[in-house]
Amino acid sequence: MKRWALAPVLALASLWLWAPGFSQEDMTAVDASPFERPQRAPALFKHDAHNEKAGIDACNECHHVHRDGKKVEDESSEGERCADCHGRMTQGRVPSLTIAFHTNCKGCHLEQQKGPVMCGQCHVWRPIKAGAAAE
Amino acid sequence: MHDLYAFVRGPLAWAAFGVFIGGSLYRLLHLLMLVHRKEKFIYSYMSWKYSLRSILHWMTPFAAVNMRMNRVLTVVTFAFHLGLILTPVLLLSHVLLWEESWGLSWWTLPDGVADVMTVIVIAGCGYFLVRRLAQPEVRYVTSASDYVILAIAAAPFVTGFLAYHQWFAYEILFILHILSGEIMLAAIPFTRLSHMLFAPFTRAYMGSEFGGVRHARDW
Ligand code: HEC
Ligand code: HEC
Ligand code: HEC
Ligand code: HEC
Repeated sequence: MKRWALAPVLALASLWLWAPGFSQEDMTAVDASPFERPQRAPALFKHDAHNEKAGIDACNECHHVHRDGKKVEDESSEGERCADCHGRMTQGRVPSLTIAFHTNCKGCHLEQQKGPVMCGQCHVWRPIKAGAAAE
Repeated sequence: MHDLYAFVRGPLAWAAFGVFIGGSLYRLLHLLMLVHRKEKFIYSYMSWKYSLRSILHWMTPFAAVNMRMNRVLTVVTFAFHLGLILTPVLLLSHVLLWEESWGLSWWTLPDGVADVMTVIVIAGCGYFLVRRLAQPEVRYVTSASDYVILAIAAAPFVTGFLAYHQWFAYEILFILHILSGEIMLAAIPFTRLSHMLFAPFTRAYMGSEFGGVRHARDW
């Protein structure tokens, strides 16, 4: 085997090694794996770029903490995943995971009249083409 | 796009459901009042037994003579109506919107199944169109409004199909999908689409008259 033939193998291997070190800076979409059988493409979301562009400073705008039915203003929950507290079904005041995301993401976009509000603007089947068009 | 979205999703949706529900109640009450004033004798032979018997026969594929005479038409008609009604009611994305707006939710179809049913409805519309154009005996009783109604019924499915797959201009198709759905809802009480409301009554009446008066079958 020629030595250069190893290059793609090494590239793939390094990608695989790097992947577990994934953090919010590298996030390009919201991971849909907590859903049993996802029906849609994962929603596009470049975590840090999004929050910078949208001018969101408070992490708990999304990573919120609720106690006794009230939002705790000076605490945040970025150590936990939304799915740790939001389940498959809505339970009382705790919305299901899907509704939690939609209320949080779409709710703010509707309020500010900025950002995507239609299903396919977030759940993009062919993101490479759409991403190229958006940039 | 935000303004347009807010408009079709807000005031226009209220208007469409208002016309659909209000219009349907009006048409049904109007029919019942007319019967009550002019044809009270119908009550003397209206019967639950014959009504339900007729409705059930006409809801079962091939249970009526007419259905056995044209098998292809029967299969297309049943598949079309099933898809036309069940797909929008059991569609995941629609139910999500009901839940987001009203906190209501119910069982939904997997998107893949809904996709197939959508294709069946669109194909059904194509079949009805070709049938109207190609068969002289059907063409003879066809008026322009029949084509308009076919288009009104097809539009939400065609736009929904394209928007779901994100083919062509997504945003515009998404708006057109909502718009065409609203047009269809509002059209139901005031066009021949109202057979959706009246069919059970027509069948009950025919069933009762044939069963109780003529002692014959109406299927
Ligand atoms: C606009 C909403 C939003 C804001 C604001 C936000 N995040 Fe996140 N963040 C998310 C979502 C959504 C996820 C994915 C959560 C999940 O999958 O359960 C996430 C995930 C994370 C993760 C986990 C990353 C991973 O790969 O597991 C970290 C860490 C994080 N955010 C930190 C922060 C910090 C720190 C801030 C404030 C500077 C912040 N976030 C602000 C929405 C937000
Ligand atoms: C530590 C548990 C916990 C985590 C983690 C969590 N939530 Fe929640 N969430 C709750 C609880 C509890 C409520 C109900 C609050 C109440 O009593 O009104 C709630 C409510 C909500 C609501 C409805 C709020 C309202 O005002 O109607 C949204 C939207 C939401 N969560 C989104 C998210 C998102 C998005 C994430 C992840 C980025 C997330 N949550 C992470 C516990 C959590
Ligand atoms: C507190 C408000 C807020 C929340 C919460 C929020 N967004 Fe946004 N988002 C914005 C604003 C504002 C913009 C428009 C930024 C701009 O283009 O100036 C935006 C834009 C976007 C865009 C388009 C980005 C681009 O490059 O044009 C995407 C995709 C997006 N948001 C996804 C999400 C998702 C997914 C969530 C939930 C996990 C979310 N947003 C939660 C405010 C918010
Ligand atoms: C602002 C962005 C945004 C919009 C607009 C949006 N969603 Fe989502 N949706 C999300 C996020 C974030 C999640 C969490 C999981 C993920 O990444 O897909 C989600 C989850 C879901 C899920 C559960 C996961 C799955 O794939 O089965 C469904 C179903 C869904 N959305 C359907 C829809 C539909 C239908 C619409 C339009 C009526 C819509 N969404 C609009 C952001 C969005």
